Parts: sequence; structure tokens; C-alpha cells
Amino acid sequence: MIGQQIINGVTLGSVYAMVAVALTLSIGVLNFLNFSIPGLFMIGGMALWALLDAGIPWPLAVVGALVIAVAASLMVERFTWRWLRGAPHFVPLVSSMAFLLLFEHIAIAYWGSDMRVVPEAFSGGDWRIAGLVIGIPQLMGLLCSIALVAGLSWLLASTRTGRALRTIAEDPDTALLLGVDINRVVSVVFIVAGLFTALAGILFAINYRQVHPFMGEAVGLKGISAMIIGGMGNIWGSIVGGLIIGTTEVFAISYFGADFVDLAVFGLLLAILILRPTGLFRGMQPVRFGI
Amino acid sequence: MLLNVRDLDVRYGRVHAVKAMSLNLAAGEVVAVLGANGAGKSSLLRALLGIERIAGGRVEFDGKDVTSWPASRRVKEGLVLVPEGRRAINALTVEENLLMGAYNRRLTSAVKKEVDEVYDRFPNLAARRKSRAVVLSGGEQQMLAIGRGLLAAPKLMMLDEPSLGLSPRLSEEVFVAIGELSREKNITILLVEQNTHRALEIAGRAYVVELGRVVAVGSPETLMSDGTMLEAYLGQGKATSAMSKRLKVAS
Repeated sequence: MIGQQIINGVTLGSVYAMVAVALTLSIGVLNFLNFSIPGLFMIGGMALWALLDAGIPWPLAVVGALVIAVAASLMVERFTWRWLRGAPHFVPLVSSMAFLLLFEHIAIAYWGSDMRVVPEAFSGGDWRIAGLVIGIPQLMGLLCSIALVAGLSWLLASTRTGRALRTIAEDPDTALLLGVDINRVVSVVFIVAGLFTALAGILFAINYRQVHPFMGEAVGLKGISAMIIGGMGNIWGSIVGGLIIGTTEVFAISYFGADFVDLAVFGLLLAILILRPTGLFRGMQPVRFGI
Repeated sequence: MLLNVRDLDVRYGRVHAVKAMSLNLAAGEVVAVLGANGAGKSSLLRALLGIERIAGGRVEFDGKDVTSWPASRRVKEGLVLVPEGRRAINALTVEENLLMGAYNRRLTSAVKKEVDEVYDRFPNLAARRKSRAVVLSGGEQQMLAIGRGLLAAPKLMMLDEPSLGLSPRLSEEVFVAIGELSREKNITILLVEQNTHRALEIAGRAYVVELGRVVAVGSPETLMSDGTMLEAYLGQGKATSAMSKRLKVAS
């Protein structure tokens, strides 16, 4: 029983973790809390459903949903961060929130506000090991998120783009005078954010088989909590934070019932913040955030 | 002419930081820009690089009109700034900082050889190549900033107050290094300095600026021989309006 709960918690947690990674990258490099991310999560899930509904085969539908979400993310970049870079920091934040509303209402206008059911992705694809049920989608989700985060860490640590991103995070003016085309490099952050978030939305849709226009909001809140628990700007910390929140949620449901989930999750967040206000791990860019 | 600047204007809101400045540099020259704090020297360099908006005038570099080019394109063309305050990136290692200098170049074996050349020139950096730049002393950070500038393959290297905040001995090392770069690698140098006497020792020509305008230009000998001017503009005394009028007439 407990083993199964952990597996389910990790599945849910890996969805939160990917959303948290997208959020934390945006904060760490751009100092920008990107509130459109829950909207991108929803786009990933709903676009997958819509494409499948239109009769498009699975692999193409997944790729299509990712492409749509990345395009939406780049649109957010163009109209929030790029235009409002010089503005006080809450201005891009508020306009990204406007994008969340925009995305949700476009989804309602196109697809209605009903919950939609996503068809089963892998029929008969469960593994049973020592009495535990591990779904292929669950396993895939976890592996995807670990592989993507490993790829992202490598990008940040060892590539030209990664060096440029870390330079921008610390000192955008110096990046500019070294000849970095800031707009081009920053779009990488938004592409990665779109990709991670939409993939999380797709995995959520595959695992729980339900999508609706507001599906991003609750997940977004958990993603923000996961990011804070892991230490803002720390991508591996976000993974740990996501897994902690996912498992807490699953255990809370099974021991106390669904009504107590938020109490347990946000109570844990509060407790961690009281004990360690900067999260469990140090941020990627301590210079940026101070102590 | 490698650099030809005509009537350059830079404004910050209502502040007119650079007023119709004209200057030119031939390839291989070492030219100093001298003047008190707030004379517009840093604004001039930042505008030449394209990170400060140019409000008027024209900048030609290596035969091309670069006035409206973005900074990234100017850097690619070989117009490089070693900024005031060094601006090493603390989160990056010494080597990564150097590689940021070569950001717009492909990391070929030639570039890697240039990184080694920087280490040969500044052995202190070699010892710390894997350390974060935050551990470097002020002098080492200046070496890093110059090394980073070198890796951009500069035709013109602009240095903004390279000796600021350094001990006399370290300043001396920095000036020696700048002189060597000009002689050995034939890099044209545009040097902004408050340390007037030291700057005039390595410069072939100097511009004196005051309140955003060029008020005098000439060889170090001419400028040094005008004792009043040195006293007025270059640190030792306070400028009076009478002196500045006399100089404008003279220039």
C-alpha cells in the first residue's frame, strides 16, 4: 500500500517538478515570475486532446501540442518580457497573468468549459512488480522529467548558451557589452519553459485522462510551492520540491481524504518556509537574490 | 581611419551627456580620452559600442557606418569595450569568463590557443582558471577583463578606467600590458583614464573632454606643456570658466 502511494506520489510529483523547473528557470535567469506557465500547462493538455479528437495519431498529437505551447510561450516573451524589460518588475508579472487569463478564455471559446476525456494512450500497459502497479505513462513521465532536467543542467553548465544565460542572470548590461544578443538568448528560456510545462500538461492528460481550461491553476500553485521548497533558481531543487509535494498530496488523500489535500500541502510549504526561508537548497544565482 | 566619429550626441532624458563630440583613430594608434568625473567619457565609450542610444551624429568603424548597429554586431566587427569596474561575472569560472569574450566566435583550436596566450600573459589567471571569478583580486579581475576583451579579437579595444581602484604597482602592470598589446598585437587602443600622467606616457595622442565636449586634442607633449590646462582638467586643480574659455579658443 505504502509502496503504491509512493509510486503515485512520484508520478504526480514529476508533473509538479517540471512545472517548477520552468518557473525556477524564469526566476533564476530573468528574475521574472512567469504566471503564464499554468496556461501553457493547460495548452499542452488541451491541445493534445483536441488534436487526438481531430483524429491525429498519438505521436503527431504530442509533437503538435508541444509546438503550440512553445509558440504560445514565445508570444508571452515578445509581449511581456521583451517589451517591459525596463519596467518595474511587477509589470511583466501582471502581464503574464493576463496571458494566463487569455489562454484560458481562448480555450473556453474554442473547446467550451467542460471537462474532456483523453483516450487511453497505452492499452494493457501496466507493469506489476511485487504487487505494485506501475503504469507505462507513469514511468515515462518520470524518465522524461529526469532526462529533460539533466539536459537542461548540461545546457546551463557546459554550453555557450548556458554561459550567456548565467551572464545575463548576473549582469545583463555586461552580457550586452560582450556582444550577447539578449533577446535571442532569452527566447531559449521561454522555449524551455514552454516545452517543460507543456510536456507536464501532456503527461498529466495521459495519466489522469481529463483536461479542462482551468486545469493549470491548481498545478501552477503546486509548481510555485515546489519551486520555493527547492530554493528559487535551483533546478534540481525544483525536482525534489515537486516530488515532496506530489507524495505529500497522495498520502494526504489516502489518510485524511481529498478535503485535506491543500491543507497538508500548503501546511508543509509553510512549515518549510518557517524552518528554511530560502528553501531546502541554495538557488542557482545567489548573487541575484541576495541571502 | 579605423574609427571616425562625427558630432556624436548622447542624452539621458534631459541630461546631455555627450555633445557633438568628434574624434578619429587611425589603425595602430593609442589614444587617451582625459577629463574629470562626469565629463561624458564613459557615455562616449558606451555609445560607440552601441549600448547607449546615439541621439545624433555618426560613427564609422573600419570603413562601415555602424551608427545604428546593435552592440552584438559591433563586437563581432572587432569593436570591443573593457568596461569600468571590470565587470567579471562572479558565477562563472575564470575560463568561462574568458570564453564569454569569444562569445561571437566559433570555439576553434585557434581560439583555444588564444585562451592559452592570455594565461601566458597573465599567469595569475592560469592558476585560477577553474575558480569562480569572485575569488580574484581587483588586479586579477582587471587582467581577466583585458583577457576577455582580447578573446573578442579586437581591432579597437576601448578601456574604461582600467587602473581605477588599483594599487600603484598593479596600475603599472596594467599600463605595461596595454602598451604591449598595442605593440605586439597591433591593437588600436582608446583609453579613458583619470590617471592622466600615466595615460599620457603610453598614448600617442589625447583628447581632453569637459562637460560632454572635446575641449582640446593633441600630442602628450603639447598637452603636458600647457600647465594650466593640466591643472584645470586633469585632476590637480579645479577648472574655472575663464580657463575653459581660453582653452576652447586654443583648441
